[in-house]
Amino acid sequence: MKRILDVKNLQVSLPTPNGNLRAVRGIDLQVNKGEMLCIVGESGCGKSMTSMALMGLLPKRAEVTAEAMHFDGMDLLSLSKKERNQVRGMRMSMIFQEPMTSLNPSYTLGNQLCEGIIKHKKVSKDEAKKRAVYLLERAGVPYPEKRLDQYPHQLSGGLRQRVMIAMALMCEPDLIIADEPTTALDVTIQAQILRLIRELQQEFGTAVIFITHDLGVVARIADRVAVMYAGQVVETASAQDLFADPQHPYTKGLLNCIPIPGKTLPGSHLESIPGVVPSLIGELKGCAFENRCNASTGECCYRSPSLENHLGSAAHQVRCPIATASFQEAV
Amino acid sequence: MSDATGSNLSKEQLLLPAVPEWRRMMNRFLGHRGLLMGSIILGLIVVLAILAPWLAPHDPYLQNISQRMIPPVWHEKGSWEHVFGTDKLGRDYLSRLLYGARISLTIGLSAALISGLIGTTLGVLAGYFGGRVDAVISYIITTRLAMPVVLVALAMSALVGGSLQMVIILLGLLLWDRFAVVARSTTQQLRDAEFIASAKVLGASTTYILVRELLPNILSALIVVMTLEMAHAILLEATLSFLGLGVQPPMPSWGLMISEGKAYMFFKPWVIAIPGIALMVLVLAINLVGDGLRDMNAPEGRN
Amino acid sequence: MLVFIFRRLLVAFSVAITVSVVSFMLLHLSGDLAISIAGPESTAAQVEQIRIDFGLDKPMVYQYFDWLWGAVQLDFGRSYYFQDTVMGLISERLPVTLTLGALALALATVIAIPLGVIAAIKQDTWIDRLALTIAVIGQAMPSFWFALTLIVIFAVNLQWLPAGGNESWQHFVLPAIALGYYAMPAMMRLTRTGMLEVLNSDYIRTARSKGLNESTVIFKHALRNAVIPVVALAAVELGFMLGGSVVIESVFSLKGLGQLGWDAITRNDYPVVQAVVLIIAVFYILLTFLADVINAMLDPRLRVR
Repeated sequence: MKRILDVKNLQVSLPTPNGNLRAVRGIDLQVNKGEMLCIVGESGCGKSMTSMALMGLLPKRAEVTAEAMHFDGMDLLSLSKKERNQVRGMRMSMIFQEPMTSLNPSYTLGNQLCEGIIKHKKVSKDEAKKRAVYLLERAGVPYPEKRLDQYPHQLSGGLRQRVMIAMALMCEPDLIIADEPTTALDVTIQAQILRLIRELQQEFGTAVIFITHDLGVVARIADRVAVMYAGQVVETASAQDLFADPQHPYTKGLLNCIPIPGKTLPGSHLESIPGVVPSLIGELKGCAFENRCNASTGECCYRSPSLENHLGSAAHQVRCPIATASFQEAV
Repeated sequence: MSDATGSNLSKEQLLLPAVPEWRRMMNRFLGHRGLLMGSIILGLIVVLAILAPWLAPHDPYLQNISQRMIPPVWHEKGSWEHVFGTDKLGRDYLSRLLYGARISLTIGLSAALISGLIGTTLGVLAGYFGGRVDAVISYIITTRLAMPVVLVALAMSALVGGSLQMVIILLGLLLWDRFAVVARSTTQQLRDAEFIASAKVLGASTTYILVRELLPNILSALIVVMTLEMAHAILLEATLSFLGLGVQPPMPSWGLMISEGKAYMFFKPWVIAIPGIALMVLVLAINLVGDGLRDMNAPEGRN
Repeated sequence: MLVFIFRRLLVAFSVAITVSVVSFMLLHLSGDLAISIAGPESTAAQVEQIRIDFGLDKPMVYQYFDWLWGAVQLDFGRSYYFQDTVMGLISERLPVTLTLGALALALATVIAIPLGVIAAIKQDTWIDRLALTIAVIGQAMPSFWFALTLIVIFAVNLQWLPAGGNESWQHFVLPAIALGYYAMPAMMRLTRTGMLEVLNSDYIRTARSKGLNESTVIFKHALRNAVIPVVALAAVELGFMLGGSVVIESVFSLKGLGQLGWDAITRNDYPVVQAVVLIIAVFYILLTFLADVINAMLDPRLRVR
């Protein structure tokens, strides 16, 4: 399997009046060609920051560093501004959370769909339009020809998100980053959009980084999962492994928060994780999850755990010495 | 991206030690350079204006034919006797400037108060009652905006005769539009707020709700408008006086001083430069205070 | 769209009528016009004669409708002072003021919009602060004083441009600067805040994610949306500038509508005053109406309504 994205020790920090906000604290990510990687975590865990850093869309004041940020063999961080623009949009594209505000109200959908491909692939306007119509149709937008001359305000939120998906596919990118693309939509439409993304991903063989806070979504579409907490990946595994055999106390806590049809009885108490996320300003001492963890020991307060292989396999990694240790004891 | 920073920031703020409200406002006040500078300059001008009778080295009305058009002190022919020189009638420019500050400030403040009263009343009524009341008052505002202020003010003061009181009343009657617009929109925002609803439930009269519940909450927005209109009124008074239809001679209005100096400006430019800069500094200070107050009222960190 | 235009036109028309009523009443209630016209040294008999000659003895409502009937036929009567009809005077002076207003607006726009855009792109840098300082100082400067200063510097000391009159295009340069500078700060600030708001919007992020050039992002995607409110403001400012032309024209002795108004005011020439007030008001109303229509055309969300 070919690796399309390889990120090592990505760090993002933002200056704020109260100090340096270290939103992403050393993340490793690998995405293979045609794979769907889900990044899960609660809001503020740095998952959106990660995606913006990958796209190069963070504001200038944000400081992005990484040991490696390779995209199909290219080092993204060493590209010139122009080369980066070429990669972004043509080879990697993005779907955003807010379909209502993510399209420019002043231009027609056709204009916005086509401008990227006309710039990057130097195709004619007609060819671009043809592709736009084809993709709109594939994205399930009714009357695709007519849509090209319409303005965003004439479409519903669900339709606009379909347009955004078509737009992301225009240049046949190798990687699409979808940042909570279903969060702002109605539940019924959410399911349709999810299915659509999964279908198109498999049809076009595009790799997708799907960012969400909803484990239910993850269960439905992910090949692999990375769980993020306080700017770090705390557990990463294939979707099957993660749901069948969660290791990190935070992952377990998250899974306990979801009601399971048939298992969770109506009216029964639903779990929640007590406490709040630690402030990401300045350094963190010890394990970031220590204050909310029910398995924490004294050592967790001052030793920062690293991401270790679980069962000796790099396919499942956990950032918790207790989880790994308890396993070793069991053997 | 926004959710990541936003939520953590607010949590961070929750963890900050409690700071008293006045202390926080004080810090913001001192932290806002424009507001601080504006307040200091404005305060200084107000003090100078109040103390004019004691500070002025000469009688601002005293003419002295032998001492005409003396240049200011930095000029090679200037003297410390008349720091800013004298005008065409030999009156001390510094003394006239100090007394002129009184005129500008009086006119600015009173005109803004009158127009504030008119505009706020109209705006609050329109915003609170909505419907037909709103339609009528909005129409009145539109009509008022369509009337050329300078021209109407000139025409009316020509008919009635220019004087200090006249200018105040005239400007008060003309400059209420922004008050009305701001009062209307802020009232509309607050109309359905919970504290208004609870006052209604408690059976408070409409007058009580408008004056005691609503007004205090739109006051900060109105004070910002007040500063802007003060500046506006001061500039308009100067304009009217400059055109000879505002405050009448021999009063030391800054606009009038520029008008009187106009004939000499080619060879003795300081006669218009000094009162002009005085006007500019005063209006600048008031605007800085207004902008600063608006920033202070706005949510943290907004520009 | 047509319904929208029609309804706006109706409102505009009725506002114009109301302005005419108000300005008529203001002039007639502020004092006895006959005494003003006759002057301070006239006898009671002379005043009475003037009252009858000018039709000021008739009921005010009658006088108003008489005047309005003429006004809708573009007949504003004869000037008391100038040996001409009011309409003749106005048609002679109006082009001067319109030229001045258009030049001033063009100047203000050409400076304000780029400056606002640069200030927004370079937010919190020295360029931004310089632009804001220029705006704040501009708002504080009395326009007549700025006009006089321009004369002293450019007409007297440097002798680059004439100080007054309206014989050639050079005569319009200084007045246009003086008048335009007055509208510049507000437009600059609005462009800046509009631009900042738009640059932080989601659709700009989308445009960037498409890998477009920064210039495409700023000029195609951001500017168009940021400039919509500025267009409305520009129209309104032009209306204000026509009103403000009284001051500037009298300083530069530019023979336009504003100076006509001022001359008429100082000479108690009320038919002219009334006509000038009404015409400036009508222009203001038309301009705000135009602003609404342009807004609707620029913003597709408004177009359907």
